[in-house]
Amino acid sequence: MKQKRFSFNLILGGILLAITLTPALVGLLWTPYDPEAMNSSLKLAGVSIRHIYGCDNFGRDIFSRIMAGSGITLLIAIGTVAFGSIIGTAIGAFTGYFGGIIDEALMRINDVALAFPSLLLALVMVSLLGTGKYQVMLALGIAFVPSYARIVRSEYIRIKNLDYVKAARLAGASDLRIMFVHILPNTKTVLLSSVMIGFNNAILAEAGLSFLGIGVQPPDASLGRMLSEAQAYMFTNAGYVLFTGCTIVMIILGFSLLSKEIK
Amino acid sequence: MKYVFKKVLSCIITLFIVSLLVFVAFSLIPGDPALSRLGTNATEQALASLRHQMGLDRPLVVRYFEWLFNALRGDFGKSYSYNMTVTSMIADKLPITLTLMLYSMVLMVIISVPLGVYASYKEGTAIDKAIQIINQITMAIPPFFSGILITLIFGMTFKMFTPGGFVNIKINPARFFGFMFFPSFAIALPKSAMVLNLLYSSLNGEKKKDYVRTAYSRGNKSKTVFFKHMLKNASIPTITFLGMALADMIAGSIIIEQVFGIPGLGRILLTSIQNRDYPVVIAIIMLIACVVIVSNLLVDIIYKLVDPRVGD
Amino acid sequence: MAKLLHVEDLNIEFHDHLIPETVVYDFDLDMECGEIVGLVGESGSGKSMSALAIAGLLSRHDMKKRGTIQFEGKDILDCPRSELRQLQGDEICMIFQEPLTSLDPVKKIGWQVEESLKIHTQLTPQERKEKALKALADVELDDPSRVYDSYPHELSGGMRQRVMIAAATIGNPKLLIADEPTTALDVTVQSQIVDLLKKINKEKNTAILFISHDLSLVSRLCHRVLVMKNGYVVESGNVKEIFESPKEEYTKKLIEAIPKCEAKPDEKDDEVNMVEVRDVCVSFTRKKERVDVLKHVSIDIKEGEVLGLVGESGCGKSTLAKTIIGLQKPDCGTIIQKYPNTQMIFQDPYGSLNPARKVGLIMEEPLRNLTDMSPEDRRRLAEEMITKVGLTPEYLSRYPAELSGGQRQRVCIATALMLKPRLIIADEPVSALDVTIQAEVLKLMDKLHKDMGISFLFISHDLRVVHQMCDRILVMKSGEIVEEGNRNDIFMNPKHEYTKELLKSAGLTNIFV
Repeated sequence: MKQKRFSFNLILGGILLAITLTPALVGLLWTPYDPEAMNSSLKLAGVSIRHIYGCDNFGRDIFSRIMAGSGITLLIAIGTVAFGSIIGTAIGAFTGYFGGIIDEALMRINDVALAFPSLLLALVMVSLLGTGKYQVMLALGIAFVPSYARIVRSEYIRIKNLDYVKAARLAGASDLRIMFVHILPNTKTVLLSSVMIGFNNAILAEAGLSFLGIGVQPPDASLGRMLSEAQAYMFTNAGYVLFTGCTIVMIILGFSLLSKEIK
Repeated sequence: MKYVFKKVLSCIITLFIVSLLVFVAFSLIPGDPALSRLGTNATEQALASLRHQMGLDRPLVVRYFEWLFNALRGDFGKSYSYNMTVTSMIADKLPITLTLMLYSMVLMVIISVPLGVYASYKEGTAIDKAIQIINQITMAIPPFFSGILITLIFGMTFKMFTPGGFVNIKINPARFFGFMFFPSFAIALPKSAMVLNLLYSSLNGEKKKDYVRTAYSRGNKSKTVFFKHMLKNASIPTITFLGMALADMIAGSIIIEQVFGIPGLGRILLTSIQNRDYPVVIAIIMLIACVVIVSNLLVDIIYKLVDPRVGD
Repeated sequence: MAKLLHVEDLNIEFHDHLIPETVVYDFDLDMECGEIVGLVGESGSGKSMSALAIAGLLSRHDMKKRGTIQFEGKDILDCPRSELRQLQGDEICMIFQEPLTSLDPVKKIGWQVEESLKIHTQLTPQERKEKALKALADVELDDPSRVYDSYPHELSGGMRQRVMIAAATIGNPKLLIADEPTTALDVTVQSQIVDLLKKINKEKNTAILFISHDLSLVSRLCHRVLVMKNGYVVESGNVKEIFESPKEEYTKKLIEAIPKCEAKPDEKDDEVNMVEVRDVCVSFTRKKERVDVLKHVSIDIKEGEVLGLVGESGCGKSTLAKTIIGLQKPDCGTIIQKYPNTQMIFQDPYGSLNPARKVGLIMEEPLRNLTDMSPEDRRRLAEEMITKVGLTPEYLSRYPAELSGGQRQRVCIATALMLKPRLIIADEPVSALDVTIQAEVLKLMDKLHKDMGISFLFISHDLRVVHQMCDRILVMKSGEIVEEGNRNDIFMNPKHEYTKELLKSAGLTNIFV
């Protein structure tokens, strides 16, 4: 029974990601149409063989825009998670391992930051940093630091009291060596699963910011940006909204199914 | 009682830190509010006098404490973009957003708790598996997309509400709550899936605990063991999550307000961010902080009531 | 006497993996009213599974059971759940190994003790409370009414196990199943719990099925004993017969593994101190209260000796070890060590090896950090040391997760040897291991002591182990050394009250007379 469910999650997750990520990767090099080329005769055109997802309000090919847009969405998600997890891990490792007043102070600030939903934190950051894809990446990255810092910190606190760390200290290992050679590899399960979850949250948060119009700016397309544009035309071309929205859902579902297996 | 007092005190300190961080962060942003208000061709003299009028020429610390004392009396200063006080801009919008938040909270609990308990109780059956699959998909739907879907399905197809047809509570309370059901549902749906998932897995985790075996060894029925012993224990992690979910509801409502065209805090926040109207942004952030921190306080108190192990 | 319990041909099979796994084979047992039967075996021998089956608690669908279990003629395996429930908590009661997790953490003690009355009787709440208070008093808890209103986390381990016993015996069951009820407890508490079970058996004529890995406890409590290994009952019979003339190899091995406390001559070594601990204090702040863990402790470790340090959990013995080795800074006092590179072996072989690193890397770690030996030399030394502890060099390329508990502890010892220390501090090195493995590890340490002249500071709560290993013994209580002396003095002529109590709890009084 367990054996069967294992492969089910894995296969379904893999299929969903293949469907969504392959176009995104291909889209970095080639798209069927120029995602920014407008064509007034094709305004809000429905699904056809030439335009498999139809066209938007400027007559741009939606499929090409989704290819390009998911690329930007994923790029931002990767950047966000990389920034958040690396800085967060470093802060969590040092505060968790050494403790003391700096730890107390940082964790106090961290608790405050964590009390806010990450989207709101990102909103504040965007209003400080401005809009655009790199600003969004940085804003979300900073907003994600506290959660990684807390997770890594509690892992370090747990592990630093284990006997094998004491043994390493008796074996003459320096603090840095203990932190990064002895402890870090043992946080990988926790870190990996929070990176997977963080990846999903980053996609959601970017989409949310862009949906609100303060994320990625035109001419860049991102899934959230497109969804926000599509919303205005959902009564005339429902396909626009549905195709874009379903792409987001499939990416997130795919990652969460995979991360379930990793646990 | 001592526990509650300590928690309240820690909330006040936290709020103070938040206000300090937010105020300082927004004061240090490059850019001159006076310049943006008067335009680039304003004279140096006019700028200076406006800066003086806005209090920008005084030290940061003085401005912070002045702002703090005014804020404590409910005065958040004047908007940069509109000739209005911030308080008057926010006053009638706050109840709308709070209604949305509480409404979705209630919906979330109503949806998630019975289903989670039921699925765990029926673990391994077809019903359990069906709930799990639907849940997994629901969790992956971003709140704004669920809003759009609900508009498409209930608004357009079934005509159960008019998309964009917000009704003020003072005009027609019944229609206000009728309309608000749909945006609240859109916020609640993905969060319910998360709560359901958490409750389900913590209930299933409890099943393997030693005390459950003890309860069976006393001759309890499975039902009694499940509802009298496991449910309370499994609710402890769920309560923690409810606190976080409540905070997330605010973020959700800011987005959902855009989808459904509701004139709440979200819309002012967004326009103020785009206009760099910082007094308004700061005020709204502080209000949200208050809501978040007070709801966390409530969660802590409930936590203490449920779990005797939480220390004083 | 009527036959209370009749188990015949019981087989238990797990089906939650691809290959079905049998954990109990052909288990037979008959018990009379008022009888105490011991079920002995090491971890994984199937003893707990058999007990759970008898209690009717194995209801998992991925498990198959075959055979018959009859309780007063009623078949427990085949009767419907509702009939089984009539017996559970009324006629058959059970207590478990870990009293903390076995009690519901969010319910008051009183509620939990009364629960079986609520299910099986029509008593009023007032009557139930009276009975519960009496039951709590019967298990010798002070202040039953305070305990009645407490939550499990507010009690100590021993008190919790008493509460479990009170809850199990409140309805005067005919059969009490006790699954390793003392394993998680301190020695003195262990002995009190065993006495309590004896008392209950005598006063209420309750039959007890006592499951344990500790043969000495079984010999004190039980009338009859069954020895289990890998799912089979290998030997059964009267306690006295089994202990005096065991027939099976395995039983002999188990009995031999109990450290013998025979009088040994005191060996006089050179009286040169290699470690001098003077006036050391350590305190922690816990919940804003200062806790003095070590109160002006002074000890000497002499060259070439095996020094035993005995005490119960929380007495400060591990802190003393950490202070000597430098993992804990003393608040005051001095520690002088004559030789460098003193090493330490920890209690839990699962926690003391980094799961992310291979054995070879773990062993080479001290050399890498503290010497400038070449990688080849390091590897050669690791191979030499791992052979010395009875493993082969192939183990160097394995991860700790691939090793058994005994093998892990051997790796820990080998790692400690890498820097060629003169002193090894061993903090409860065998208490997490099965008895037969314990004996092997102790033998290994004894060999290292004799062959390589390494001194040991041997920390343990188990007096038998200490007696077997140590020349000189320190007894510690609440952060102070209460008695110090040669082995024979401590064991035959204890002076301090606490030492006497420890010896009594371990069943070691007058053993030499």
